Amino acid sequence: MRRFLLARLARAVPAAWGIISIIFLLSRSLSATQTVSEELQSSIAGHTATPKQIRTTERLIRRRLGLDLPLFYVTPAAQSTSGALAWRWQWQGFQNQYHRWLLGVLRGDLGYSFRDGRPVTTQLRLALGATLPLTAAAFLVTSVLARWLTLFLANHRGLRTALLSALHVLHALPLFVIALLLLLLLANPDALSWFPAYGLADFGDNTSWSIQVLQYLHHLALPLFSLVLVSLPSLVVQLDYALARELQADYVVTARAKGLPQRLVVRHHALRNALLPAITYLTDLLPALVAGAVVVELIFALPGMGRLLAEAAAARDFPILLGAVLLIAGTRLGAQILADWLYYQADPRIRLEV
Amino acid sequence: MKQLSRYVSLVWLLVLLLLSVCAEILPLPYAPDTPDLDAIAAAPFSGAHWLGTDSAGRDVLAGLIFGARTALLISLPATIVSALLGTFLGSIAGYWGNQRLRLSAVVMVTLGLLGLAVAVLNASLGVYLSIGAVAFGGLVVVRRISGKLSTTHPVPLDAAVLLLIALLTAIPRLVLVLALAAVQPPSAPMLLITLALIYWPSTAQLARAEMQRIRQLPYMEAARALGLRDWQLILRHALPAVWKVVGAALPLSVATLIGLETTLSFLGVGLPPQTASWGRTLASARQEPTAWWLIVMPGTVLVCTMLALRQLALTSIKKEKRGE
Repeated sequence: MRRFLLARLARAVPAAWGIISIIFLLSRSLSATQTVSEELQSSIAGHTATPKQIRTTERLIRRRLGLDLPLFYVTPAAQSTSGALAWRWQWQGFQNQYHRWLLGVLRGDLGYSFRDGRPVTTQLRLALGATLPLTAAAFLVTSVLARWLTLFLANHRGLRTALLSALHVLHALPLFVIALLLLLLLANPDALSWFPAYGLADFGDNTSWSIQVLQYLHHLALPLFSLVLVSLPSLVVQLDYALARELQADYVVTARAKGLPQRLVVRHHALRNALLPAITYLTDLLPALVAGAVVVELIFALPGMGRLLAEAAAARDFPILLGAVLLIAGTRLGAQILADWLYYQADPRIRLEV
Repeated sequence: MKQLSRYVSLVWLLVLLLLSVCAEILPLPYAPDTPDLDAIAAAPFSGAHWLGTDSAGRDVLAGLIFGARTALLISLPATIVSALLGTFLGSIAGYWGNQRLRLSAVVMVTLGLLGLAVAVLNASLGVYLSIGAVAFGGLVVVRRISGKLSTTHPVPLDAAVLLLIALLTAIPRLVLVLALAAVQPPSAPMLLITLALIYWPSTAQLARAEMQRIRQLPYMEAARALGLRDWQLILRHALPAVWKVVGAALPLSVATLIGLETTLSFLGVGLPPQTASWGRTLASARQEPTAWWLIVMPGTVLVCTMLALRQLALTSIKKEKRGE
């Protein structure tokens, strides 16, 4: 068992490192000039500057953003020899952007935001604090509700067609339409104003903690509903399909033949096998827990991870983007290993193969 | 019943296609982008605007028709490009795997140097073409000479394609689009290319799995035993089967891409603000919370389109399964 996990880690960690390195180098090399020139324009806007002043400002900006060092250990340098351009690889030593960034990552320091100079780790932590309760709750509610709905569908044949068609229609709606519908139906002073339309609760000092928790839940309800409604249909449809296939298997006939009631056959025999494919589906959702839900967070104005990422992407704030991508890629690798481990635990046939 | 729903969805999609093709010549009373300042957020079925206007006084009916055009113009080409790219990369990865494509070291070094030159040099197209011609000539010569001299090494094609997929999927799709949209000014061709580049991995995974399956089948072995070349095997014997699977999933790709396009327009990224889109009409519902028609009309059109596309995909996938 431990060997299995170690082998998976030994394969996964270099892959993650490679991916993150490539993203770092690509984003830095493609965007550095543009970022610096934008900063330069905003800092000399409205002033008349001599070329020398401009050069000095640019150097200062590059130093402040950490873009003054060479990008990698070796960089190509242009040399004009006898009129023609020739390229030569130049060894830059350890004083380069990549080396510094990597050391920082190993120490748990992801650098500083280009936009406001705050440390990336603090911003990511704050955003995660707002996002994780929402996405984790959505994840839990979805999986519990999906299991319940699948059982309900299996036990109530008469409602099947109606419920499945409703799920298909729901599945066809993009997330933003669902969120918008909920917002305009349930948080609209002109319709029903049951829920607050945006933001998280702002607590006064003298409110007791129980009221604070209630307010918090009240604010999270609509985003939670929309996330659950958008991920529930595909999960239920998939589970239902798997369950229907399992119910045709021979062991189900045996179970019925020995006199078990249908309810127990479904619950104890078929459902367990039908849940196997759902492992992949659920572990695939795990990275989204960390990545947040961009659309929902933008519509309901929640200060979460998705919004942080969207704003950083729009402002080309690469330290934040890289930090978040590092986090998401790490979670994805963890989720894949978790999925393998769960399969390993759940299905004896796989255990024999390893 | 199944046949009926298939016909209904086909008819709906055809009507949508027709409307969007002749959007320019239709006798619409209003243009999609000229605000009618006398009728701001006018209710539908009452005045001159049949389906009402939004918070800026833009006609909803014209917005829907031109929005359909935008959705189809973006999603159909993006689907085709991403399907072609994904099928190509996925099937070469599935066919050759990590071990089976063997090139001699000389060829690999030449190709690597060529790639490096393209990456490092910022030269014009002519220089690239001449480098490519020289490299190709060299390749042919080297192949003739080195047939017996040099040993061959396996090219990890499968690992390379998987790495590329992992790179693209490491970042959430929407964030990647936002980041790319921030670098380029918003325009329809840019959005199309971005979506195609982002969406190909799912097709590639499909094509890769199918190619891995097909490559083991007896008929492929027989064809190989007949002495057919690799490209003949891939093009004539494997790709038609791969394309069936990829083609069955095409309507789903179109649906996903329409969803992405409307989401982006709703958020106000990717397309310039004067381009009509269902997402833009839906976004205007936020400024006018009482205007139910701003969410019901585009929402209904969107849901019908998505359902029709899903229905098509469902029937074609079922047909595919029955065929086996």
